[in-house]
Amino acid sequence: MSAHNQNESVQALYEGDQSKLYSGVMAHHTDVNSPESKAQVKKIWKIFWILLFITLIEVTIGMFFSKAMPIGIRNFGFLALTVVKAGYIVAVFMHLGDELKNFMITVLVPLVLFVWFIIAFLADGNYWLWINKDSPVHAKYEQVIKK
Amino acid sequence: MLQAAPMAKENVWGGGRSPYNVSYGKMMIWFFLLSDALTFGALLISYGTKRFFSAVWPDANQVFKSFPFLEGNDLPLLFVSLMTFILIMSSVTMVLAVHAGHYGDKKNVAVWLLWTIIGGICFLGCQAWEWTHLYGECNGLWGAFTTENMPFDSFQGFFNMHSPAVADIVVHHSKVAQEASHQFFNYFFTITGFHGAHVTSGVIFNMVILINVVNNTYQKRGHYEMVEKVGLYWHFVDLVWVFVFTCFYLL
Repeated sequence: MSAHNQNESVQALYEGDQSKLYSGVMAHHTDVNSPESKAQVKKIWKIFWILLFITLIEVTIGMFFSKAMPIGIRNFGFLALTVVKAGYIVAVFMHLGDELKNFMITVLVPLVLFVWFIIAFLADGNYWLWINKDSPVHAKYEQVIKK
Repeated sequence: MLQAAPMAKENVWGGGRSPYNVSYGKMMIWFFLLSDALTFGALLISYGTKRFFSAVWPDANQVFKSFPFLEGNDLPLLFVSLMTFILIMSSVTMVLAVHAGHYGDKKNVAVWLLWTIIGGICFLGCQAWEWTHLYGECNGLWGAFTTENMPFDSFQGFFNMHSPAVADIVVHHSKVAQEASHQFFNYFFTITGFHGAHVTSGVIFNMVILINVVNNTYQKRGHYEMVEKVGLYWHFVDLVWVFVFTCFYLL
């Protein structure tokens, strides 16, 4: 989508409002029935169907197959599908995919903190289990997670 | 400053133009959402940590198996699927409103915003029902499992008692199961409550901009960027729900 393109007629429309520089009116977006507009609407609905389909897969697995699957594979599958859904929402619905690469990097890089965050806390959980390894519940816990 | 086309390939960081090609307001809503993502992330990771610590944990298929007017039937995950569908749908109507805004199409902006508001209210209604239902199941919201040595009957329904190992812990180490129920529901009400507060404020923002759209505020301003900014917030709320859904209902 070219909603952010600037052009020479900017001067006349600017009128001191900075937002005008970057909004759709500046990119000669006048005809909502143009092929470009219709293609964009089609894309939005396509993403909707993809999101719905992924959610249906998740719910079906959660309802019928989650007890039968190895827990590691199941959880990895759920998390992977979640990240795919999040990616579609951010890239298409929030239009981050249409922004400049500089801006995408600026928004996404701080989220790398989560990598450390998750690893640190899982390691802490492991440690807690280790210091409680002599408790009677712990032996049964081993059975539960390996069911 | 404004002859953008000829200088497009020149020095991006030399001043006189936005290196990101976004307005101040839009950049700041992104940074706000980034900080909000860290808050939600912290809540969900601390939920995961508590879960990791515990030998047993309530089973989503046992806790969330009711549907309005069909109470007593075993319908795991069905109601939350409906809630998820409503929120995804309202995200689509919001992005269609933003799209119409790019073309200055006032009528369609108003129509799609109205659908988005309806979707948001439906979601909040579902959440109110679910909270009321769980209030009945737990005899309380936060801190319903803090009485010392509660009988295991008061929480065994939340666990997968078909698994012998889980049933053994719930029956013979009921303190562990009680503590797990306590953690599970405290986090559930805190996180879905915080998310619900976001949905509520999103609905209010949507109402405010709908009034502005109808009053031609953005038509006079020459662009609908405010719809885009509120849209970003609304999509973020949907995004958070995707993760809440995975963490509480699926994993």
